[in-house]
Amino acid sequence: MATIFIVEDEIPIHELIRRNLQAVGHTCLSAFDGKEAIQIQAQKEVDLILLDIMLPELDGFEVFQQLRGTPTIFLTARSSLSDKVKGLTLGADDYLVKPFEMLELLARVDAVLRRTKREGKSFELDALRIDFERRQVFLHECPVECTPKEFDLLEVLVTNRNIALSREKLIELAWDFDYAGDTRTVDVHIQKLRKKLDMENRIKTVYKMGYRLEV
Amino acid sequence: MKSRTFLLTLTLFLLFFYSGILLASVVTLKSNLDSSKDRSLREHYFIASSYAKDLNALEKRGESAESGVVSLYRSYFDFYSKQKVILTIAKDGRSIANDFMEESHAFPLSPVISKKAERLVSMEKVENKEYISVAGNLPAPYDMYTLVYYYDVSAIISAWSQMTVTLFGMGMLFSALLAICLMLVLNRVFKPLQQIRTASKNIAQGQYGNRIEVKGHDELAEMAESFNHMAEEIQSQIQQLATAAQQKQQFVDNLAHELRTPLTAIYGYAEYIQKVVRTEEDKLFATNFIMSESRRLQNIAYRLLDMATLRENKLELSSVGMDELLREVEQSLSMKAAEQNISITYEYCFDRLECDADLLHSLLVNLIDNAMKACGQDGVIRVVASLENGYKVISVQDNGRGMGEDHLAHITEAFYRVDASRSRSGGGAGLGLALCQQIAVNHGAQLSFSSEVGRGTTAKLTFTSC
Repeated sequence: MATIFIVEDEIPIHELIRRNLQAVGHTCLSAFDGKEAIQIQAQKEVDLILLDIMLPELDGFEVFQQLRGTPTIFLTARSSLSDKVKGLTLGADDYLVKPFEMLELLARVDAVLRRTKREGKSFELDALRIDFERRQVFLHECPVECTPKEFDLLEVLVTNRNIALSREKLIELAWDFDYAGDTRTVDVHIQKLRKKLDMENRIKTVYKMGYRLEV
Repeated sequence: MKSRTFLLTLTLFLLFFYSGILLASVVTLKSNLDSSKDRSLREHYFIASSYAKDLNALEKRGESAESGVVSLYRSYFDFYSKQKVILTIAKDGRSIANDFMEESHAFPLSPVISKKAERLVSMEKVENKEYISVAGNLPAPYDMYTLVYYYDVSAIISAWSQMTVTLFGMGMLFSALLAICLMLVLNRVFKPLQQIRTASKNIAQGQYGNRIEVKGHDELAEMAESFNHMAEEIQSQIQQLATAAQQKQQFVDNLAHELRTPLTAIYGYAEYIQKVVRTEEDKLFATNFIMSESRRLQNIAYRLLDMATLRENKLELSSVGMDELLREVEQSLSMKAAEQNISITYEYCFDRLECDADLLHSLLVNLIDNAMKACGQDGVIRVVASLENGYKVISVQDNGRGMGEDHLAHITEAFYRVDASRSRSGGGAGLGLALCQQIAVNHGAQLSFSSEVGRGTTAKLTFTSC
């Protein structure tokens, strides 16, 4: 998917972010202080930086000013409005305050990547190929008919692959926030997807939780 | 107050001033008139006797008394009218021999005087002129004739009234001058009060730097001085409050940060286990982090609790042997020191110390632990207990990385970290030195630090109370 550069000095949080991003298929680079971040950035091409503000050596704002041009999401424990405004006026793409939920981080990462990544987005798994631009699904290079909701659900599963999503979360993400339907609807759509796309082994039911697309 | 003082002073002054003028002029007038009366009486007596004498002489020469009176009157009248004196003569209350004097018609008829020697003195007003009139009979045997003597005093009275007018006019002028001077003087006197008013208003509005200019050594200057003193006290106290509030805010901010980071990690790893983890290895990895981060929260909670208890409880001091104290400190640190190959030397030149053994032990362990973090592998730490200026001093010196002046002032604040990123690579909750400071305060001791970047840090505990 994308190469994401994590700059965060708190090891537990750094590790947590890295593991979650890797689970959904991103490649991760790591730096634990400001200077290191600038060195690594100079050597490698990255799609997005997750930048902590309070860093040893150089703080996040300074690092950001030196790395101008790369899409950036600030991660910080500072929640004051002035800090947020400063971060966003500097030109950051988003600003996330600790503590945050992983799904929120992933959603924001996705949103920024969708905005900034130039090449067309597609996803391949086994004999399945999904073209997100054209909203088309191919199985063994043959187009498969999907309803819009089925496609939305598939897209949510793919972007959050390897992460278990509860039925409520799936409704929230694939349907609208105010969808008042039964969570049974999710089960029905999942069954259809499994059958149509031959994904019985890929879309797993997680006991008492929901579903997970395992890759 | 100012205008009241002004009006009161002015009114009182004018009251006394004009009463004085009035009294003086009345007294002058009265004494002038009295002397005129005396003179008139004397003249009347003199004229009456000479009139009688002349009349007697005329009678002896054979002239009748009737015609004699008239002819004599004529010459007397002519003579005295040049001296502002008018004479009338009457017989038994009937005016005689004054037909030729036109003006004498205006004069009232002379009173009939029954007793021989009696003379009447009165003030008469005739044709807008004031006269003193003295009426009396001629001496016997001519006592049927009454001679009235009029003395013109209008000049005296007009002079008096002119003088009075002049005095009052001058009085007005002086009053105006006085009012102006009084105003100036009062302004000068009340100026410090005005200044105090302005200054206190400014202070009330939050401009605590306001001061009054102090001039002279009078009561007002003293008041201004004490006002300035008050302003200074207020300023310093407000400053202290502001600093304390700032420190509190800093503490709360830091605490929030300290809590937020482990909470983020704990929540995140729990979520990770729930939604992502598929292997036992991943689960172990995540649970390890959850446990270590929970431990961190626990540490913070315990340290905060320790500080709270320390603040509230009174110490029980006892005499503790230095050898014992340092031996225990050495025991609890020797493992860790050996691990990092740090050498710690202990020296002491006094034997006993009044303190709470447990608290002082934890203080020293904390300080030495910090020193060990600062010097890392192969460091050298000296713990020295000595006497300085009669005070017992315990110092902990290391040869570690040291820190700058700006940090030294803050290191005893809770959660303060020399590293701006607040990283905990060195470990700890960030409350160690805050706790040490609290223990030192409870012992009545001073905890001070000196440091040089790259050369090391010295922590010094001075027992000023014992």
